[in-house]
Order: sequence, then structure tokens, then C-alpha cells
Amino acid sequence: MISKTGQIVIGLFKEAASVLNLLFDILYWIIIGPFKGKTARRQSIFHQMVFCGVNSSVIVFFVTLFTGIVLAMQSAYQLEKMGAVIYVASLVAVSLCRELSPVLTGLVVAGRIGSAFAAELGTMKVSEQIEALDTMAINPVRFLAVPRFLALLFMLPCLTILGNIAGILGGFIVGTGSLHINPDLYLQTTFKYLAIKDIYTGFTKSFVFAMIIALIGCHEGLNTKGGAEGVGRATTRSVVISFILIILADCVLTALFYFTKV
Amino acid sequence: MAESKEIIVSLKNVSKVFQDVKVIDNISLDILRGETFVIMGCSGSGKSTLLRLMTGILKPDEGSIFINGKDIAKLSEDELGEVKKSFGMSFQYSALLDSLTVEENISLPLVEHTKLAPDIIRIIVKMKLSLVGLRGFEDYYPSQISGGMRKRVGLARAIALDPDIVFYDEPTSGLDPVVGGVTDKLIKDLSQKLLITSVVVTHDMQSVFHIADKVAMVHKGKLVETGTTEQIKISANPYIQQFINGRPEGPIDFFKEDIAIEEILGL
Repeated sequence: MISKTGQIVIGLFKEAASVLNLLFDILYWIIIGPFKGKTARRQSIFHQMVFCGVNSSVIVFFVTLFTGIVLAMQSAYQLEKMGAVIYVASLVAVSLCRELSPVLTGLVVAGRIGSAFAAELGTMKVSEQIEALDTMAINPVRFLAVPRFLALLFMLPCLTILGNIAGILGGFIVGTGSLHINPDLYLQTTFKYLAIKDIYTGFTKSFVFAMIIALIGCHEGLNTKGGAEGVGRATTRSVVISFILIILADCVLTALFYFTKV
Repeated sequence: MAESKEIIVSLKNVSKVFQDVKVIDNISLDILRGETFVIMGCSGSGKSTLLRLMTGILKPDEGSIFINGKDIAKLSEDELGEVKKSFGMSFQYSALLDSLTVEENISLPLVEHTKLAPDIIRIIVKMKLSLVGLRGFEDYYPSQISGGMRKRVGLARAIALDPDIVFYDEPTSGLDPVVGGVTDKLIKDLSQKLLITSVVVTHDMQSVFHIADKVAMVHKGKLVETGTTEQIKISANPYIQQFINGRPEGPIDFFKEDIAIEEILGL
């Protein structure tokens, strides 16, 4: 029992070390690479930005829109009792921007993009494509992981902004349509209580989530073993690990922002 | 074939261990510039591992591997990168990047390692495709062409940087006899026309006798014998004779003797 627990702990540490190693490798190629004349392919970064960002916008829009609607209805249910229905606007906006939009966007993207990274790189690993890059003296981390990492680091905050807007729109639909709040008043209340720090704490979270998703997706993909089964395992692992780490990071960051009064 | 006797690839007492199993056991061999050197052996004999050691994908646990006089296990990543540019590798399943077209696949090493203008690169790609008989397939994706064609594209990619050495991993496996013959001819042509040293790992005996200048046989990670094609043909070594004639009985044990059929059946 003890030895089994020990093995699991050692395994976890090894995995964490390996992920950190990949992170340092990626940072090395982003920061030092250009001085050695070796940068990630711009074409590849744009391709990944379209894949991660543009193609995820519809699902992010709808997920956060409906969350905004649900949130408005649930909060109205309580606030109506106190005659404070107007605060639905600020409640929806603040909770979305600080918390729900970055987390939901992160989870959606982890499911959609993190898994795709793991599956694509995993298939490349088992079909010797990564080995082929290596024999051509092309570093697989620079060629494959860096464009994905950069693209997601840029696109996830963009998607989070889209999520903020869609969520507030959802609240607005409920507030003005069903709760009969004056549209101007709704928007005024939204922006009155929504401080700039609410936006950037959400932003900070989405940066961290982007790093988690890209790192875990690429790490699982690049370390795939076995054939089709291995690819399946890597894909599942990437989603499960990303989900856990996103929620964990969210918890840590929220605590940090709360206790430092940010 | 090898007018100059310069050694281009040299293995000195190389061993490699995977999970306590010695996959490569104290192998030493020299490959001369310009020759076609075939490493043959049964599946699981360690011949593909040997190829991966020579290409620097794996590092030996013991011994040294010299390519153009440089001990590749002791080089830094940048220095190893320079050595890697001097050779190409053709993979068993071609290992083309699925997301890139045939042209982009072949131009990849050129784009990454040279400062040539895109027009020049396009011309080089066309030349390489002509060499493997696939001109006109530039815009196809690997999934749109046959296995044999993919292997030839892989070969075009391997020779994109005009390497000194090309390593081939099972170049004819999975191909029909005609395409296999075409591939053999291609390997021979490339080494004769471009004076490339070819190191071929295969268990296809027909292919061995078509293309080889020199043959080495590996069995259970050990070097059984090295010699010219003629020497190997008439070798008295029972391992070699069993292998080249494809006989089920002989010193190469296909069945594990310690597990009797009675034991499996529980009798």
C-alpha cells in the first residue's frame, strides 16, 4: 500500500518534471531561438491561431451566452425577493468576467483544442513523423509545440473577451426581455460595477489556462507510446489533466486575487 | 563501387540496453564512402535499433559511433544537428508529415536549413521528384497517394539536402514485387549517380542481392558476419544460410524451445 502510494507520488513528480521540461524547452525556443536564427514558422502560428481561435468562437459564444442567460435567471430568482432585480446586471457581468467566462472558455478549449493537439502530435509520434523531424535536424518542440503554444496564448484571452461579451448579452436578453429592466439602465449598471480589475483578473486566468492546455496537450502528444490505443489514451489524459489543472489553477488564482484584494 | 577507402560510418563496440535486455551487443563495423551497405536480420534482431543509433535518434549505452569522423554520442545538440544535415533517412512507413503537401514535405529541410529563395527551392523539389519518378505530384497530400509513392516521396525528402549518406529502413517492405524492384533500382541509381553512401536495413533477400556491395547480418543484437554479397552467398555460417534460404530449421530459433507444446496445452 505504502509502496504503491510512493510509486504514484514518484510518477506524478516525474510527469510534472517532464511537463516543466517541455515548458522550459518552449520558452527557450521562443526567447533564445530567434537569436540563433531559429524561429517557429509564422505560417504555422497563423494556421494554429485560426484553428484554436476562430474555429472555437462559435462554441465559446453559445456556451457563455447560455451561461449568461442561466445566471441572470438564477440570480433574479433570489434578487426579486429583495426587490433588487437591477443588480442582476452587475452580478452577471462581474461573475462572468472574473470567473465563469475564463473558466468555461478554458474548459471548452481544453476539450476541443487540447485533445486535438494530443491526438495530432500523438499520431505523428506513433507514425515516426516526429522521429523524421528529428533526423532532419528539425527540433520537434520548436516546429510543433511552439506555434501551438503561442497561438493559444494569444487566442484564449481573445476567446475570453468574446465569452464576456456573449455572457453579458445573455444576461441582457433576460434582464430586458423577461425582467423588464430598461436596456439603458441595464448597461449602465453593468459598467458601473464592472471594474477594470475584473477584466484583467479574468485575463490573467485565461493566460494561465492557455499555458496549461497547450503544455498538457503537446506533452501528452509528444510522449505518446504504442499505436492507436496510445493516441486514444494520450487524448483522454490531456483532457482530464487539463480540466483538473484548470480548476486547480482557478482556485489558486482566485484565492490570490481575493487575499491580495486585486 | 568504393574507389576511395575512406570510412564514413564507423561503429566501435556499440551496445544498447532496453529494460535490461541487450538489444545491441558489442557491434563494430565500418562502412566505406560510396558503398551500399545492407544490414539484414530477422524481425526483432536489433537491426532497426542499429539504424536509429547511427542516425543519432538513440544514444549508445557503450561504445562510439563515428559519422564523417565525428563521435555523434559526444556532440552537443547543435553539432549533432550539423551532422544530421549530412545524411537523410527513408523511413519504413515513409513518415511524411500528413499536414503538408508532397512539395512542402520535400522542401521542409531546404526551408529549415538553407537560405535559398522559394523559387529555387521549388526547382530543387521538382528535380528531386523527377529523380524518384514522381514529377507532377507536388500538390498532393500524403494521404492521396499510394504507399509506394509515399516511400519514394520520403526518399526525395531524404536526398533534398544532397546528403553524403542515406539510411533506409526496410525500403521494400509492404510493396508489391514490381514496386519493390523499382525501389531497389532507385537506391542503386542514387548511389551510383549521386555517389551517395547507402545504409539499408532489410530482411528482403531479393533486395539484398540486387543492391548490396557489402552485407552484415545481425542476430539477437550480435553481428553474425560481414562480407561482400558474394562472400555472404557462399558463407558456410549456418545462420546466414538459414536466413538467405528462408529455412524454418536451423540455429535461428523461431520457436522458443523451452516452452513445449505440451506445456501450452497443459498436458
